[in-house]
Amino acid sequence: MELEKFTYDNKHAKMFIYASIVFGVIGMLVGLIAALELIFPNLSAEIAYLSFGRIRPLHTNAVIFAFVGNGIFAAVYYSMPRLLKTPMFSNLLGNIHFWGWQIIILAAAITLPLGLTQSKEYAELIWPIDLAVVVVWVVFGINLIGTILKRRTKHIYVAIWFYIATWVTVAVLYITNNIVIPVSFLESYPIYAGIQDALVQWWYGHNAVAFFLTTPYLGLMYYFIPKAANRPVYSYKLSIIHFWALIFLYIWAGPHHLLYSALPDWAQALGVVFSVILIAPSWGGMINGLLTLRGAWDKVREDPVLKMFVVGVTAYGMSTFEGPMLSLKSVNALSHFTDWTIAHVHIGTLGWNGMLTFGMIYWLIPRLFNTKLASLKLANSHFWIATLGMLFFSIPLYFAGFTQALMWKQFTEEGYLAYPNFLETVTQILPMYYLRAFGGTLYFIGMLLFVVNIIKTVKSGSFVRYEEDGAPAQPKVHKAKEGWHRRLEGKPIQFTVLALVAILIGGLVEIVPMYMVKTNVPTISSIKPYTPLELEGRDIYMREGCYLCHSQMIRPFRSETARYGEYTKAGETVYDHPFLFGSKRTGPDLARQGVKSLPNYKPDSWHYNHMVNPQSLNAESIMPPYPWLAEDDLDISDIAKKIEVMMTLGVPYPEGYAAQAEADLKAQAATIAQGLRDGGIQVENDKEIIALIAYLQRLGTDLYSESGK
Amino acid sequence: MATDNIDQKHNEDYEYDTLTNDRLIKDHDYDGIRELDNDLPPWWKWLFYITIIFSVVYMIRLFVFNDDSLVQEREYEIEMAEAKANMPEVDETTAAFELVLLEDEASLASGQETWAKICSVCHLMDGGGLVGPNMTDHYWIHGNTLEDMWRIVENGVIEKGMIPYKDQLSEQKRLEVISYIMVKIVGSTPATAKEPQGTAY
Repeated sequence: MELEKFTYDNKHAKMFIYASIVFGVIGMLVGLIAALELIFPNLSAEIAYLSFGRIRPLHTNAVIFAFVGNGIFAAVYYSMPRLLKTPMFSNLLGNIHFWGWQIIILAAAITLPLGLTQSKEYAELIWPIDLAVVVVWVVFGINLIGTILKRRTKHIYVAIWFYIATWVTVAVLYITNNIVIPVSFLESYPIYAGIQDALVQWWYGHNAVAFFLTTPYLGLMYYFIPKAANRPVYSYKLSIIHFWALIFLYIWAGPHHLLYSALPDWAQALGVVFSVILIAPSWGGMINGLLTLRGAWDKVREDPVLKMFVVGVTAYGMSTFEGPMLSLKSVNALSHFTDWTIAHVHIGTLGWNGMLTFGMIYWLIPRLFNTKLASLKLANSHFWIATLGMLFFSIPLYFAGFTQALMWKQFTEEGYLAYPNFLETVTQILPMYYLRAFGGTLYFIGMLLFVVNIIKTVKSGSFVRYEEDGAPAQPKVHKAKEGWHRRLEGKPIQFTVLALVAILIGGLVEIVPMYMVKTNVPTISSIKPYTPLELEGRDIYMREGCYLCHSQMIRPFRSETARYGEYTKAGETVYDHPFLFGSKRTGPDLARQGVKSLPNYKPDSWHYNHMVNPQSLNAESIMPPYPWLAEDDLDISDIAKKIEVMMTLGVPYPEGYAAQAEADLKAQAATIAQGLRDGGIQVENDKEIIALIAYLQRLGTDLYSESGK
Repeated sequence: MATDNIDQKHNEDYEYDTLTNDRLIKDHDYDGIRELDNDLPPWWKWLFYITIIFSVVYMIRLFVFNDDSLVQEREYEIEMAEAKANMPEVDETTAAFELVLLEDEASLASGQETWAKICSVCHLMDGGGLVGPNMTDHYWIHGNTLEDMWRIVENGVIEKGMIPYKDQLSEQKRLEVISYIMVKIVGSTPATAKEPQGTAY
């Protein structure tokens, strides 16, 4: 057979590695700041851009899409050409992909602190940036598929199956979840509302974890573990079974984020069972990763790269066992809305994504620079500090979550809530927040050791941009004896289509009935659209990221209805574009904040004082201050347009209401402001805080107005 | 092993991994990465089967039997009914609750605890008042007797933001905190005092 000569270009792999490291440092630092802000609420020094609600999305987006995202692309651009024996399809597309992605990250880093957000977790980026993401993703897809089609090998390796599944699924998820109607260049409302929006969002959110943090990293694992250990993959059969099972089953599991919410029982049940069935397919990946190291365990003791891979894959096994357990309704009743969830995701990100990324880069950089790793000792220190950091981060938060959940649910013998003041349950777990910040600091120090080591290594070598290789042209003849899957591995287009079909089924079965079947969202006649002022207040609530610490979803438990009032009904959420259920209760639920007869009701003046300086009312409160809300004028220039967009989305304002909206808004603001002034608070009608108070006082009231409770 | 002979026979068709003696799959070589022909671990298969069986049973329980524990509306009703049933019965033999000022240290300490947890949010820890009125002075909006205080704590003054506490605090706790207010807060000197409201008594 005649060998064809060709050249690999290492440029893009190197660039993506650098980007991953830089944004990893930034993303983790922002996370650390956010963790400290939960202990020292005044740390943001009353600077709006640094407040928790704005930098928390910055942290999650930075580590997911910038640190891990660039890690994925580094792995793809390095491993694909070698696995397929061809250079990447297009250098130009590679450049557009790289720079486009970095510009998107930069745009995110600017817009999120400015409070420009769609307020859906991990889908916060505003619509113009979303469009750019789609364009860059398509560019990446062309480069990916183009390279596969140009391949010299007959079959595609399991790593590439995972890259393909990643590409198609992220495209479907991202586009579906981000369909919005723009109000302006910076603002928009999603076409979905309330519980339906929540289902779409968590179908997206869960599968962002599955298809952005998991499948591409399984691809990465399947290339770099066998390479680094120089061992064969444990089981090809397991690869096939766990690949298809994983991508088919994963997509169904989204509703486990909405257990005990207003989501219908049938949809919740699908979320539960598909999460439980996912244990084995997930562990298939872990087994294939760990058992590939059989015969190389002596190397694991020496080599920091393999050590990191082992801890990473083990963390994957832990969190993919914990995930299904958290999806059981009885466990979720405790864990949901607490720090337990935060601990869970950090085992995944710090362990699985972090360790795999570090391992890959420690292995790759010496090869890309034709040198040795500058310091094995430093890399080993990084390994231990990162592992300890992960444990110090997670264990206290497990404890915090468990403790707080039990306190929320505790009743006295006389039948009263044992801890009626939410704040008590926060101060109880505050020491755990210190430990978490300590764990985060350790992990970050490890990251800095990593950076030093990589810089030293790069300096000690010289970049090998091109590598020569040779392989015979792709054989044209079929082997008659190939099994069906082996044949499929030789037909990447059919493979891609089949993967697409596999991931579409679950989403369609869950989402379509939520829209088509009326009984899933029973109508409640007393539910009315928000007034223009409340709508503006709602937009401020989103801008400040209030939903990141306050839920708006009262679950049907005695402990919640006693604390917060009647549990939330699907029909109450029909005008909520987007839904704002939240996923974490660092502060109390606000779903019925406006209902005067309920325990948590507060007067306007309380909200005013609390927003400006929370600690003046509760010295131990960890809520950050929002003084700018009382200083800044409410921007009402878009209110007519906002009403029009809401009407387009089916919110039943009267015909022509947009023209009247501004007058109504000003009238309602005048009443609220006058009330505050009567109570001795100096405030003008046109401040942002008036709108936010109007919104908070509306929350949950419609249901009570009907039943007269 | 019984399969040794067979493996020997096929030696020419297959290659073996030298470290584990597992069979490598021929032609599976991707950038030097080989794949072994190992079967699925049996425990893994069983794990998969068991989770599938769990899921089928789960769905049957929901869709066929409408199991109460899977229909959350029913689950809630049951929880509430159980809570109601388990409420302590009012013991007829013990003395009926009496509305009289408590002045013993234990009651006042318990009252202070409730004050710090709940009341201080609006009236401040030292009673100087913020959102709620100043409780240290001798001006009262809704009257100054124990009965007046009881009425306010029980039913609230909803239009002013004072919520009813009858569903949140037991009679004893309410009396303790009122006693704490009347004994310890009224007449004390707060750091910052809100201007007097209501009528002087």
